[in-house]
Amino acid sequence: MSDKKIVTVSGKDANGLRLTSKIFEEEVRGAAAAADELILESFGQHNIGLRLGTEDHPLTLHITGPAGQRLGCMGHPGATIISEDSASDDVGYLNIGADIIVKGDATNGVCNAMAGGRVMIGGSIGARGLTMTKWNPEYAKPEMWVLGSVGDTFAEFNCGGIGIICGHESKNADNVLGYRPCVGMVGGQVYYRGKTDDSYSRTNAKLTKPTDEEWQWLIDGLPGYLEAIGRTELFDTLSKRDEWNLLTAITPQERALMFSGPMPMAEFAKRIWSQGFGGGDPLRDLAPGLERTLIGVVESGEMRRRKPFWANRDSAAPCTYYCPMHIPTIDRLRLIRDGKTDEAYEMLLRYTPFPASVCGTICPNLCIQNCSRKKVDYSIDVSVLGNAVRTVEPPKAKPSTGHKVAIIGGGPAGMGAAWHLALAGIEAHIFEKADQLGGKLALTIPWERLSKAVWDMEVERFLKEDNIVVNLGVTMTREKIEQLKKEFDYVIIAVGTHQPKIIPFPGHDRVIPALDYLKAAKSNNPMKTGKQVVIIGAGNVGCDVAAECYRLGAEEVTMVDIQKPLAFGVERDAAEALGATFKWPVMTKEVTEKGLVTDKDELIPAQTVIISIGDVPSLPFLPESVELVKVAGGSWIKTDDAGRTSDDKILAIGDVERPGLATNALGAAKRTAEYLIATFNNTKWLPFNKKLIQYESLTIAHYDPAEEKGDTENHQAARCLSCGSCRDCHLCETICPTHAISRRELVADDTSKVNYEYVSDDSKCIACGFCADTCPCGIWTMRPF
Amino acid sequence: MVSVRSVYTQPSSLTYSDLPWIIQHREDRCTLCGQCTAVCPKQAIYLTYRRQRMPKLDILRKKRGNEYRHFVGIRQHTSIDKMCIGCGMCSSVCPNEAIGPVPNPNEHRSQFHMNQKGEAWKRGGRRNAPGRTILDRISFGRISMLTDPALDAGRHEFSTNTILGRILPPEEYLRRRAAGEWIPPTREIFPFVIGSMSFGALSPNMWLGLLQGVAYCNEVLGIPVVMATGEGGCPPWVLKSPFLKYIILQIASGYFGWDEIIRAIPEMQCDPAAIEIKYGQGAKPGDGGLLMWFKVSKLIARLRGVPEGVDLPSPPVHQTLYSIEESVMKMIQTMSMAFGFRVPVYPKISGSTSAKSVLNNLVRNPYAGGMLIDGIDGGTGAAYNVSLDATGHPIASNLRECYLELVAQGRQNEIPLFAAGGVGKNGNVTQNGMALIMLGASGVHIGKYIMQSSAGCLGNEMGRCNVCNVGICPKGITSQNEKLFRRLDPDDVAQRVADTFMSIRTEMKKIMAPLGRSQSLPIGMSDALGIDDADAAERLKIKYTC
Repeated sequence: MSDKKIVTVSGKDANGLRLTSKIFEEEVRGAAAAADELILESFGQHNIGLRLGTEDHPLTLHITGPAGQRLGCMGHPGATIISEDSASDDVGYLNIGADIIVKGDATNGVCNAMAGGRVMIGGSIGARGLTMTKWNPEYAKPEMWVLGSVGDTFAEFNCGGIGIICGHESKNADNVLGYRPCVGMVGGQVYYRGKTDDSYSRTNAKLTKPTDEEWQWLIDGLPGYLEAIGRTELFDTLSKRDEWNLLTAITPQERALMFSGPMPMAEFAKRIWSQGFGGGDPLRDLAPGLERTLIGVVESGEMRRRKPFWANRDSAAPCTYYCPMHIPTIDRLRLIRDGKTDEAYEMLLRYTPFPASVCGTICPNLCIQNCSRKKVDYSIDVSVLGNAVRTVEPPKAKPSTGHKVAIIGGGPAGMGAAWHLALAGIEAHIFEKADQLGGKLALTIPWERLSKAVWDMEVERFLKEDNIVVNLGVTMTREKIEQLKKEFDYVIIAVGTHQPKIIPFPGHDRVIPALDYLKAAKSNNPMKTGKQVVIIGAGNVGCDVAAECYRLGAEEVTMVDIQKPLAFGVERDAAEALGATFKWPVMTKEVTEKGLVTDKDELIPAQTVIISIGDVPSLPFLPESVELVKVAGGSWIKTDDAGRTSDDKILAIGDVERPGLATNALGAAKRTAEYLIATFNNTKWLPFNKKLIQYESLTIAHYDPAEEKGDTENHQAARCLSCGSCRDCHLCETICPTHAISRRELVADDTSKVNYEYVSDDSKCIACGFCADTCPCGIWTMRPF
Repeated sequence: MVSVRSVYTQPSSLTYSDLPWIIQHREDRCTLCGQCTAVCPKQAIYLTYRRQRMPKLDILRKKRGNEYRHFVGIRQHTSIDKMCIGCGMCSSVCPNEAIGPVPNPNEHRSQFHMNQKGEAWKRGGRRNAPGRTILDRISFGRISMLTDPALDAGRHEFSTNTILGRILPPEEYLRRRAAGEWIPPTREIFPFVIGSMSFGALSPNMWLGLLQGVAYCNEVLGIPVVMATGEGGCPPWVLKSPFLKYIILQIASGYFGWDEIIRAIPEMQCDPAAIEIKYGQGAKPGDGGLLMWFKVSKLIARLRGVPEGVDLPSPPVHQTLYSIEESVMKMIQTMSMAFGFRVPVYPKISGSTSAKSVLNNLVRNPYAGGMLIDGIDGGTGAAYNVSLDATGHPIASNLRECYLELVAQGRQNEIPLFAAGGVGKNGNVTQNGMALIMLGASGVHIGKYIMQSSAGCLGNEMGRCNVCNVGICPKGITSQNEKLFRRLDPDDVAQRVADTFMSIRTEMKKIMAPLGRSQSLPIGMSDALGIDDADAAERLKIKYTC
């Protein structure tokens, strides 16, 4: 190597003053161009060795003076930089290939951001060594050899550099790797021997013993390093394999697996949490048996919040509910749909003796006023149904029980009561003042509205029933009542209202009560009727009066009222069709032979003035034991919900309790008859107490509107929505998404009972409510449980 | 013909477009599996059948008429009691993405009808005031760069804890130490505290899940999180457990559960973290707690020491406290004495312009261990809407005023202030908390946030869900019905609590590192704060930045 050209560069100028780093670098660069080896008598200049030498033209730099910061900074492959003494900060900063040898110690930042080459330190180093050191796979890995120890925060963010810390003659023999090494280290390895504080970053590095291959690499490199720093004698000391440890960067893949948490929660729950409560649930004493295990959000069985109930016939259809007799029209129509017409007729007759006269003719049909079918097209037409029954034979009565009931009054109330009692095998004796049955139905309603043929037919059927005894033309007295009380189990008073109300204005004696007029009109001796008639009181009875007046010769009928007329329906239509006019408000001042004079002194000319403001009961025969209520200008018998009066042998039904429609009287009759039947049978009387079905619970969209109402029973039956009563359509079974619903046959002991049911399997049902939302009849209901 | 049906409208009649949430159902995707109607907590949706008229209008032939098409769908009820609350449980169970609520962008008329039967609108949740809060708008603008040594959140070690309890001035501390006198108790805790939610307001699985998570944070992660119980007692096994030290027991005007707590004192293995005396709540100042009878299950009744199925009111006022002085003396002293003066005791008040007066009283009281102010954005399980929306005081300026008052007196390091009310309302929990800390709080309490974060609470500031008050929580967080609370796995809640606090700790470091703070929490470091609102900046005495 004698042909090597060696040049010396001094760090001082001719005057012995320090050259600036800039000037020194220019001189070194100039010298290096023509030299193989430089001896740099530096004097604290920075960045010595920067970008000098190449692989084709290697260069060795001997630093004999004190080096400044960043020795070997940006060192190139081919350069060998040797500091004979210690070095300052950042040795090998951004080095990409030079070998940098520091025979003494180096301070902070050794190998910072180094990407290639080797740094070999003959002593110890300060903090932040091997930080951000990286490896470019195109080149060899950067290496850092340290004989002693390293300072704190070593190998932070190391990204591929290899550190070898020999732990010999360490500055800090108690902790050769310093505090918290390897934080953020993502690549590379750190070989070390000696004690540490074990504070390396667990999430970045793992501690192992070198493998054979790794050990071989170390032991191969060690002599070169020792030679470089001039300590070959240490080889034996440093080549004891079991003294060496290795920290290797954890790969992101390994870290992802590690980072499921320091301790699985299940393990914590078992090992620490539950042990804190003496090994068990912390609520076991407060709530023994409280189940807290996980359930889903859609559950079947007990964990549902609601469940379906098949509440067949729990609620009443509007027709059944609003009919004072609670005739289940829906059941009648179902029987018709099922082809059981005879059963349908018989069932109806068991509710009322007058299906044709009342239901089919004079009743305003409270039942269908609220018919649900109206929401699809038209209400069910019940007059069709009632009239269909007129010629049907009476149902068979039960065998006689020996009980006897006296009924005072043979109007709709009295006849109704007699009918129900008779059917139950109880003798019913009617005592009627008039010479015919029917009360106001027969006596006052014009034949135009209630056909005589229909009426006679129904009365005839009524009389065919066993157990009914009729006494006509009987005037009741107190004595007679007392006698009846003795002879009969009970006495029912059903005398209605046959005393007209009057108003004592001047000339009131000229005025004919409507009741008298109507009775006469239906008799063989109708009253003489003038051409002009004024009717005081424009209700439906007034309309009947008007119609009769026209029939009997009147040409101009004026109906007056103090308020807006209450007349409605067929009665009003009929009166208006005949020409009757309504006047209101009209207060009568007096009635003269010229007619009615109003309080405004207006004369409404009339030869006949009729008053139709209602009737009150006439009860001269009533024992004092029966309490009365005085209201609306009359005395009415005080009754309870079964029709009982204050006399425990006497009951009262119909208008004598409170005025109403014929159907109200029939309803009261049925109620009281059922009460008596229950009493005779020693059973509990169960009055009608079903709730009205809510329209919203029906699903009417299943039905298509019909073009016409239809005029046969079958038309009505087909249109009926069967509110509240299962129509066995299987829709629930079909829609149920979990197949929880099925239909089951039942053995019914009574043919009138339902012989099937739909059931929901709790273990399948998820309480979606589809059955309730689908059911056309509103049977399925969802309830919390 | 199609019936001309009379349609009645009542003053309260609503259509689906009047409701805050509109159910969108896609018939083309629906399989009619029934899961959505089964899961809906309000029974707001149902299977419906619809009929459509298809007229046959053949002009050339005489044959005319109507045919009808029938179809099914899922629709929503329009009555207030069955109104969709937007919880979205239907979409969560739908196998075909066929259904879900969407917010109604229109003003919805239903809000004029929430007062059914004279009962004013009550709900759970938080003030319905969506959008960024003042806290959200505060930025940390004093970045330590070149001027100071830089810190690295991932590399440096940070002390993220705070002190709860009275801190003596150094000379006084040394004097007492030397003289062997009583030194007020303190706790080093994580500055994000799980705010008071009672066992009762919360379901057993939620409450215990939170505590399990808190225990995990302490014992496994080394994050000293504490949680406040709310009034309503604490299960005896918990009182006797080593986890009591992570619990701040609350006492309020109802004193519910305190008989059991007092009974358990001799058997306690450790002291509780602190005692919180509740005088007010940010969500409903001047309005007390009311656990409705249907939430008073057998378990809750035993826990609170009351009969089953009764309403449990904690009135807004303590019945035997008549003045600040008395409150402070009586309650703080009694509670301190109960635990041998070893447990910090502090009051919780609603944000109020009178907060400073309370504070000044506490400063003079040697036993007061801090003060918690709960601002108007705080959440609750049940309150009148008007209380939630309009009653109270926002936390930022209230806390700031109190802190500056302490600064003026030179006592800011002695009595820690804790802040609550809307921390993390829009998800920015760490940012909100650190903003409050830099405005002067020693720590913050989070309630609603932890419910959302750890148990998936569905509530939001658009009125979504918010039915905690009626015990039908679809996630099982606030229900005492086992059919609901068993939907919640306590281990899952605990895991989410751990996840939440781990990430809060990371975010705290991410905020502290650029500020150059690592060794202590930057309490009152308001020079670091900026806000893009000059008025707010002036009010909070921080920098206006834009």
